[in-house]
This record gives sequence, structure tokens and C-alpha cells, in this order.
Amino acid sequence: MVRKKNTEARIIWLLVCIMFAAFLAYPAILLLVESFRGESGFSFQNYAEVFGTKGFARALRNSFAISAGGSVITTCLAFVLAYTVNYTNVSRTFKKGVRTLAVLPMLLPTITYGFAIIYSFGKQGLFTKLLGRQLFDIYGIAGLLIGYVIYTLPVAFMLIHNTMGYIDRKFMVVSRVMGDDALSSFLGTVARPLVGTLAVSFIQCFFLCFTDFGIPASVGGRFEVVAVVLYKEMLGSVPNFQNGAVVAMVMLLPSVVSIWIIHYLERYNIRYSKLSEIEIKKNKVRDTACAAVTSAVLLFVAAVFAVIFIVPFVKGWPYDMSFTLDNVRNVFADSALTAVYGNSLYVAAATAVLGTLLAYGAAVVTARSTISSRFKGVIEGIASVTNTLPGMVLGIAFMLAFTGSSLQSTFAILILCNLIHFFATPYMMMKNSLAKMNLSWEKTAKLMGDSWLKTLARIVTPNALSTLVEVFGYYFINAMVTVSAVIFLAGARTMVITTKIKELQHFAKFNEIFVLSLLILFTNLAAKLIIRLLAGQKWKERRRVEHEENKKNINCGAGSGAFIRHDAHRVQK
Amino acid sequence: MVLALGLLSGMTLTGCKNKAEAADNEVVLYTNADDEAVEAMKNALDNHGFEGKYIVQTFGTSELGGKLLAEGNDIEADLITMSSFYLESAQKEHEMFADLTFETGAMEEYPAYYTPITAQEGAIIYNTEMLKENDLPVPGSIKDLADPVYKDMISVTDIQSSSTAWLLIQAIVNEYGEDGAKGILTDIYANAGAHIEDSGSGPIKKVRAGEVAIGFGLRHQAVADKEEGLPIDYADPSEGNFTLTESVAVVEKDSGKKDLSMEMAECIIKYGREELLETYPIPLYDGEKADDANQSGNPKVFSEKLSVDLLEKHQALSEECK
Repeated sequence: MVRKKNTEARIIWLLVCIMFAAFLAYPAILLLVESFRGESGFSFQNYAEVFGTKGFARALRNSFAISAGGSVITTCLAFVLAYTVNYTNVSRTFKKGVRTLAVLPMLLPTITYGFAIIYSFGKQGLFTKLLGRQLFDIYGIAGLLIGYVIYTLPVAFMLIHNTMGYIDRKFMVVSRVMGDDALSSFLGTVARPLVGTLAVSFIQCFFLCFTDFGIPASVGGRFEVVAVVLYKEMLGSVPNFQNGAVVAMVMLLPSVVSIWIIHYLERYNIRYSKLSEIEIKKNKVRDTACAAVTSAVLLFVAAVFAVIFIVPFVKGWPYDMSFTLDNVRNVFADSALTAVYGNSLYVAAATAVLGTLLAYGAAVVTARSTISSRFKGVIEGIASVTNTLPGMVLGIAFMLAFTGSSLQSTFAILILCNLIHFFATPYMMMKNSLAKMNLSWEKTAKLMGDSWLKTLARIVTPNALSTLVEVFGYYFINAMVTVSAVIFLAGARTMVITTKIKELQHFAKFNEIFVLSLLILFTNLAAKLIIRLLAGQKWKERRRVEHEENKKNINCGAGSGAFIRHDAHRVQK
Repeated sequence: MVLALGLLSGMTLTGCKNKAEAADNEVVLYTNADDEAVEAMKNALDNHGFEGKYIVQTFGTSELGGKLLAEGNDIEADLITMSSFYLESAQKEHEMFADLTFETGAMEEYPAYYTPITAQEGAIIYNTEMLKENDLPVPGSIKDLADPVYKDMISVTDIQSSSTAWLLIQAIVNEYGEDGAKGILTDIYANAGAHIEDSGSGPIKKVRAGEVAIGFGLRHQAVADKEEGLPIDYADPSEGNFTLTESVAVVEKDSGKKDLSMEMAECIIKYGREELLETYPIPLYDGEKADDANQSGNPKVFSEKLSVDLLEKHQALSEECK
């Protein structure tokens, strides 16, 4: 009898599957086939060719080394930040400031960080001028590391901060009572429970660095990384699609492995039977040291971003530092640039609307319907796949699949690409939220004579409203800042801000670049604010309930794992 | 509700299409040209009735080159201005350009599907004050730049991303053969160190700023700087001043925009050249004349026909020297 009532769920399931078959499976398979296409059918020739070149092996080594280095630094710094927030007696305002500032870089495209670094530490940079000399050569290792650290700091911080929130502090008391010294107490009650998360943070950061295009595009210099090789193979002076496909597959591999390891590591999270708040021991030295390091890190990040607010407002950096609004006025007077901003808004809004629908549809099927688990497994599988797929790889797959079709150079292709690219996190957010609701609602409603869809519309959806709003915001902000996939797909009429920035880079028009970056930043801040307001009271309420529920969940031993995963997803670009 | 979902997504998607298609009657111009040239072309078009009927999309040379070779007729653009050798290679591979239907009046013979908008010559550019300050001799040839006295004092461009570098490499390959060129280029790269630039105007910027004493770049830029009174001078290398032209071509498409694109191409040549000549002073059309300063001392042409294949060969050569 239940089966009969599943028609609607099945239709939704089918729609979701058709969507991903057409815009995920088809392009991905095409990419795979392309990588094996030799002069006479199937061959490994392209692989041999790519791996045979000196440059590629070097780029691959570079990528691994610098991504690993960046991830270690980020994870350590993020740990200090999270520790300061969770385990010291610094003021609440300070803690709140840390939480806000640490995630700010997420609101800007990575390509902007690179230019901000150039204007901070480059030959004519703000700090070079202030200090009277250039501290280090920014093109290459140093620039990449700084960029990667800023880029991944929010992710690492959120992950570690979250887990720290779910560590039972009573163990600290026990440890102290047992007579442990400060170090072993720290290792046993803070570091040890965090090992899993620290590893996840490292891998997550590694994945982000390894697949990012914006930072090496701006400050990579002669230090070649895989992302740049990939771009050159596809859009370089002498493109070679087959070899590009090979590089894409090579880029995909570490991504798949890293996500798989994260999945595996989750099992090793230590789960506490309950959470207890305790007074944090007074320790002025610790507090001061932590606050100092945290302030230094955040000041550094803020300082790098400061130039974005300064450069566009002075007449002729760095020689004529008088204030002017001309640059901003010029950008707004240039119809080509305002049109690009309009395009970005349009793409982001459409992505957000459709993305929310897609995530909701998929999550409703897996969390609130009774169709067979095999069907649900398909959707779970899709979510995992989109999670491992770097934006560049997806962009290239789209380019191969849809060039020459009526989708080429349309807004639709950008929106579709974003929908697929960012699907994993919104889906998880949605599913977690839906799964928490009382499962007997549908049954009760059915007894009252409502169909499944009516229940969804009348009960489930209103209750999921604040998550829907958050999902909307996630899609919107990510669509605003992404460059890796859309760089291959945007046409003259469908340029978005991030792809325009890449174009402006060629002409070294940094004023325009920074003004456009500020537009993205303010738009995203506004979006965040509106989402806060919309989710409003409900959101706060839900947080409280969620908190209580989590405590309960921890009792059943099912809390933190899902949360880490949830947040690991949340920050993927 | 499913219906509503479906309908809504359908509507939004068609909405996107409509928005893109609404602007579909505009001609899309892809170009690798520098700012000044783009301005000149825009002015010509705007002043002759084409304002609002086109949109311009600029690219780096390598990016646009890649797009031409990769996409062929599928390319979004209707009208293209680009390095001539790239147009030739793309035409050979995809037969993607239509023959021009107007009388160009060019001084030389070009293929039927393109006509040049600018020509750019390479030369050695130096900062007179920096040379004096560091007690360096004025180089007379590109080979001179390989001399260790110029260590960290020269700036050149990278042929991987800039076609200006090709003007240098053509000159030395032409003069000393490939093997000879390799030795010289290796030493030049060693001298240039961190000053191997991605953009064609990179070296002259560094020479102006005094970060290096000597650069290899576009001759007309140095002429203009010198006339402006900057401490910049130039030398025509004994290996020769080589030239690259950029040209306009119309993409062969079924769409009704081909005719409009053709009119625009004609307009750019007919009315744009005057302003283009201000920045790129080499005469290309009947009736144009260069002043003496812009008449290079030693113009030469590479023995082999320029093509993307040849560029690739020279890129490989350059990579070996790094």
C-alpha cells in the first residue's frame, strides 16, 4: 500500500536523476573517453604523452608539495584560532570577532586574493612601501602559500571550531585531578580528540589548494601547478583537448582519494556521551599568547584585504595617494562592467532558486519518502560524486559536451554547471534538516486524508524554511565567487564578474578588478544579512532546538560525525 | 507540486535563454588587441552608426588562439581581430572565415579572408640613465644581450604567452640557426632571471621604471616614450626588426549577422586606421605614411611562413633554454 503512494516521490527522483544523467554523467563520461582517444581509437597514448613531458611531472610535484605545505600551515593556524575561541578566557567580543573575521575570505573569489597579495607584498605593494623593502618574492611559492592559507583558513577553522564545541570539557577536570601536567592534559583532552578532525582539515585544505585556479592564475609566477597546466591545455595557445582531459583525470584522482579518506576518517571521531560546560582555568599567559597569535593571523588576513579597499580609492597607486572616487565612478559608468555585474547577480540568483529546488527535491526523496533504499542510494551516490568533482574538471567536461550545442555561451550552461558543482553541501544541509523532523508527520497527515505532496507543502516545507533559506544563500554566495568551472563556459554575453576579472588581469586593470571584487563582497554580505533576517527568529529557535537535539544525539553516539561532514561539505568551492 | 517544480525550473531555464537570445542580434567581436587598438576600433564603429550593435570581448593572444583552434565555426564570435598567423592556421584547420567582400586597399597582398589592422615591430629598448649609471654599453644586437655584463639588467617576454617574444626568437633563429639561437636564448634567459614577462609591454614597463636597463619590446612604444622626453631610446638589432600583423576576419556562419559583421570589418579598416596609426605607426594601406622615427632601420621577414606549428616549434625551443 505504501508503494502505491510513492508515485510522486518517484517522479521527483526521476527528474533529479535525469538532470544529473544529462549534466553530470554525460559530460564526465565524455571527458573520460576523450582522455583515451588516440589517433586510432582507444589508447593510452595521451597519458604517456602528458606524463612524458618534463613540465607536467614538475607541475604535479609542485602541486602536491605546495598544497600539502599550505594545508599544514592552515590547519595549525586554524587550530590556534579555534583554541582561542573555545579554551581561553579572552573576552566574548574578541571571540565573536574571530568567528566573524575567520570566515570572511569565503565571500571573495580566490582570484582576488592573489591580486590583493600583489598589492600588499609586491614591488609596489602597501607593505613593501611601508617597510621600505620587499619582504619576499611573491610570485611563486610564497604568494601561493599566502593565498592558499587565506583561502582555506575559513574551512579549517569551521571544522576544528565545530569539533571543539563537541568535546566534553569535564575530561579536562579529570585530567587535572589525576595530576597531569599542562602539556599532557592538553594532549589528552584537547589534541587527542581532535586528531580525526585535524586530519580531515588537512585533507580538505589539500583538496581545495590542489584544485584551485584563481590563486595560481594571479601569483603562480613560474611555479607551475596542475591547475595552470590544465587551463593551458584547454585554453592555451595550442590547445590539446585529449591531453587536457588526461590532466583533468589526473586532477580528479587526488580529489576522489581525499574525499574518500575523509569519509573513512569520520569513523574515528571520538564521541562523547554528553557535553558539559566547565569553567576554563584561569591562565593569563595562555590567554595572552593565544590572543596574540590569533590577532596576528587575523590582522595579516585583514591587512591583505585592506588593499582592496584602498587601491581603488586612490588616484595613482603608489605614487599619487590622494583620495578619489573616479575609479568607482568609471566602473559604474562602463556599461560593459555594470552588465557583467548584472549577469553575475542573475546567474547567482537563478542558481540559488533552482539549486534550492534541486537540493530540496533530492533531499525530500531520501529523507521523507518511502521509496526503496536502492533508489535513495542513487541520489546519495550523486551527492558523493559531485563532492569529489573539482570545478575545473566539471567546467572542462561541460565545454567538451556542449560546445556547438545551443547551450554554448548561454546563461543556462553557467547555471546548470553551478547547480551540479555545488550540489553536495546543500543536499546534505537539506537532508539533515529534513531527517530531524518527526517522521510520523506523513502518517498522521495521511490518516487525516492528506496526500504526501500536501503534507510536504503544508507541514514539511514550512518547517524546513530556514534551511531552505540557508541553502539558497549557500548557492548564491558560491555562484558569486566561483571561477574554476565557469571560466571555460562564459561567453561574451554571459561574462560574470569572476571571469571578467581574469580578462582584466591581462590588461593589468587592477582598479577595476578591485572595484568588482568589492561589489562581490558587498553583495555577498548583503545576501548573508538578508538570509539572517529571513531565517530570523526561526533560525535562532532552530539553533537552540538543534543544540538540544545534538546533545541527545551524542547520547546515542551519532552527533559530531555528521556535523564534521556537514561542514566539510559546506565550504567546498 | 511536481508540476510546479518542473514548470518553474523549465521557465527559469527558458528565461535564461531568452535573456541571452534577446541580445542575439548584436555582433560579437573577439579580439586580442591592446586597449588603444580596441578603443580605436570602438570609436570607428560608434561614430559610423554601429553603436549598440556589437559587443567586444578581449582575450590574451594565447587564449583567443586556443579558442579559434578548438572551437572553429562553433565560436561565439562573429567578427575577430587576431594575430594573422593564428587566423591562417585556424582557417587551414576549420575553413572558418568568410572572404572579405570589400576593397581593402592594402599595400601588400593578403589572403582573401583577412586584412591587417596593425603591424608591430620588435626592437631593443633601453633606459639611457640606467645604462650610464651602471656603466653598460649600448647593445647593437640581440646576441649582445646574452653577454654576462647585462646580468639582471634585461627584460624579455615569454613566447608561451606573448607573441612579442616571437619577434626576438624569429630574429635569432633567422640569423644564427636553431642551435645558435638556443645558446643565445639560454644566456639571455639567465641574464633576465625574474624579468621574463608574460605580456608584450612588460619589458618596456620595467625599463621605464628603471627596474632593468634594457628590454626587448615593441618598437613604436619606445619611439613614443622617447618623443615624450622619457630617458628611453631604442636600437634596431643587427639581426633585424621582425614584424607581426594583427588582422580582422569575419566568421563564416549561417546566421544573418555575417553581412553586418562584414560592414563592421570594413568600417574598422576604413575609419579606424587613422586612430590606430597613432599607436601603431607602421603604414599598411595605400596613402598611409610613417614618419622617419617610425621607419625601422633593419626590417626583415622570417624565411619560413609563420604558422601556429612554427610558433609551437619555437615555444619548445624556448622551453629548452629556460
